[in-house]
Amino acid sequence: MSKKKTKVTVEITRRDVLTLAGVAAGSAAAAVLLTSGPLSPFSALKQEQLDVEQENGGHGATGDHHWGMVISLDQCIGCEYCLRACSAVNDVKTDKPWNIVVEEKNSAGHPFYFSRPCLHCQNAPCVEVCPVKATYHREDGLVVMDYDRCIGCRYCEVACPYDARKFNWETRDDVNPYIPTWGIAEVERRPRGVVEKCTFCIHRIDAGLKQGLTPGVHPEATPACVNICPVGARVFGDLKDPNSQVSILVKNNPTVVLREELGTRPSVLYLPPKEGL
Amino acid sequence: MATATLETKSLKISPGLLAWFALIGILLLIGLIAAVQVFLHGLEITNMNDTVPWGLWITIDLSAIALGAGAFTLSAVVYLFGIKRFQPIIRLAVFIGFIGYTSALLTLILDIGRPDRFWHPWVYWNIHSVLWEITWCITIYLTIMVFEFLPVVAEARFFDRWPWFRKIASLLHGAAPFLALLGLMISLLHQSSLGATYGIVKARPIWFKPSMPILFILSAVAVGPALTMAVAFVMEWVMGKRTVPHDILFTIARFCGFGLLLYGYLRFWDTMAVLYYGRTPSVIEAWTLLQESTPYNFSFWVLELLLGIVLPVIFFLTPRFNRRPPFLVIGAALAVMGVIVNRWNVTVSGLTVPMDYSPGTQYLTPVGSYFPNLPEWGVAAGIIGYAFLMLTLGALFLPLFSTKEAHH
Ligand code: SF4
Ligand code: SF4
Repeated sequence: MSKKKTKVTVEITRRDVLTLAGVAAGSAAAAVLLTSGPLSPFSALKQEQLDVEQENGGHGATGDHHWGMVISLDQCIGCEYCLRACSAVNDVKTDKPWNIVVEEKNSAGHPFYFSRPCLHCQNAPCVEVCPVKATYHREDGLVVMDYDRCIGCRYCEVACPYDARKFNWETRDDVNPYIPTWGIAEVERRPRGVVEKCTFCIHRIDAGLKQGLTPGVHPEATPACVNICPVGARVFGDLKDPNSQVSILVKNNPTVVLREELGTRPSVLYLPPKEGL
Repeated sequence: MATATLETKSLKISPGLLAWFALIGILLLIGLIAAVQVFLHGLEITNMNDTVPWGLWITIDLSAIALGAGAFTLSAVVYLFGIKRFQPIIRLAVFIGFIGYTSALLTLILDIGRPDRFWHPWVYWNIHSVLWEITWCITIYLTIMVFEFLPVVAEARFFDRWPWFRKIASLLHGAAPFLALLGLMISLLHQSSLGATYGIVKARPIWFKPSMPILFILSAVAVGPALTMAVAFVMEWVMGKRTVPHDILFTIARFCGFGLLLYGYLRFWDTMAVLYYGRTPSVIEAWTLLQESTPYNFSFWVLELLLGIVLPVIFFLTPRFNRRPPFLVIGAALAVMGVIVNRWNVTVSGLTVPMDYSPGTQYLTPVGSYFPNLPEWGVAAGIIGYAFLMLTLGALFLPLFSTKEAHH
């Protein structure tokens, strides 16, 4: 096998190079069009932030209710009861709790406790990015997951600004130490390969409403974390009902929204500590 | 008729070829074992975790698709811009594109938590999701490439016995310009939205910028054809006969040089604008954190910019090197490395930086750490084995380098 001597006279005409450069410029122009024009995902983002309410069932609470939670950073004593009750009722793996509780300090060095469920954002990045609508908005503003539809791509986990999502890396066979001390499992364990997160105890809300109960008022229809809080730092209710406890709290107090600049419009609002943040 | 001019290849089993196939076999075996482990035990056995849920495999997906971009770029050159001179490389370009895209799909199937539900994006639509759009585009584009490539497969001697297959294929061949145009549009869309996958994530300051999709598509358009060019040279060396006229390959190298120059320029200014002039606190903090906790500085400045862009540009554009195939092949290899490192840097670096969402503490969670483990590397080896196998079979049995047009 003799390699052919490659003596080549190259004929690259100026025209070829120019046209090729044109191809590059054209592709770049098309890319710019696609990314910043009306077809762009960015424009969709901005659009949605502007007219959420008009979107039919797509984003945010469009129905009669909007379930929300107010958490008082001032009252929370960091006992982690919410974490435990939640982990028992929803049978959550202990090293990946849906609710986290941490001790923090405000700018003056004053300690306070911060806890975080899923914030059920009305402009939820997780809903926007899910390729199969396995994460979606219900009319009552809840961000819900369909475990039978999720393909486990984990894009939502990457996109959630509050680290509220966890992936099931393996089939679970762990013993839940919080059961039965802190409650009994009311929902099934999630299968391997799907993402999960706090549901605001959706099963209680739905069952309660059917019995004519009011979530946030009747414990049977209220998230476990809210019921168990010994100091009443968590309040749950309908943000669309002006007379609900949450609405009154929001009306009469300054509230803090986590990462407000992102425009996610969470359904969980915080009351700052007395000493300020 | 082209069939008549096809070299009838009687396969000579040389020791070299045998060793090569043995290597491919080992790679495939490693990949297979790793894949079976993943299917059996789930993603738990990888090093990915809830802080860094995307890792090596996503990097492979992104890179394989970017490297397959030679197909649509060169098809556009021939069919859209009418530069027929490049016809002889189209088949190889589309073939490499096909290998790239199928590699990506194979990896993706392993990477999702529920491989049994891989078809869900086709049935359950979320048109707001870039990932949904990407899944669709990739599927459609893969179909287009199959149609584009079918006529080539049909020319293989094997199909002598099925003339009807050839007839369909020659019909398809007539549709080539149309397919190329469609492919071009679809490719422009998804090659950019792969970048948008990161660019739209407002939760993560170092990703959230409109330049992401543009950088992704530019790098793909610049490096995809370079890989095609390099493969043509290497095949020529290995098989000892001319594949594609050299002047075409030289022009492609030049084109890629200019493309890389443009990409490097934008990448440089993107970095300057964001880090030096813009100085958004969250971005600066993330950047500082990366520099302190990962070899980001080295992988960005040295691997991505210097070796991945500057050196290939020199090889592709300066008269001293740009007519010397070995340098062009080295340049292409470096550029390919640059793209892979870039995709890794984008993915993993963005995830290592914890998010700042709590009212009191800046970073609640520790800095993420991730390095692929054995099963992940195993799958990577398998994918490389697959790509090598396809290339070898293609080179041995498919008329990759004889075009009908060439005889007219
Ligand atoms: S907190 Fe995260 S998981 Fe919950 S709705 Fe918002 S983005 Fe989705
Ligand atoms: S992991 Fe599941 S829920 Fe999350 S984006 Fe992917 S398919 Fe949707």
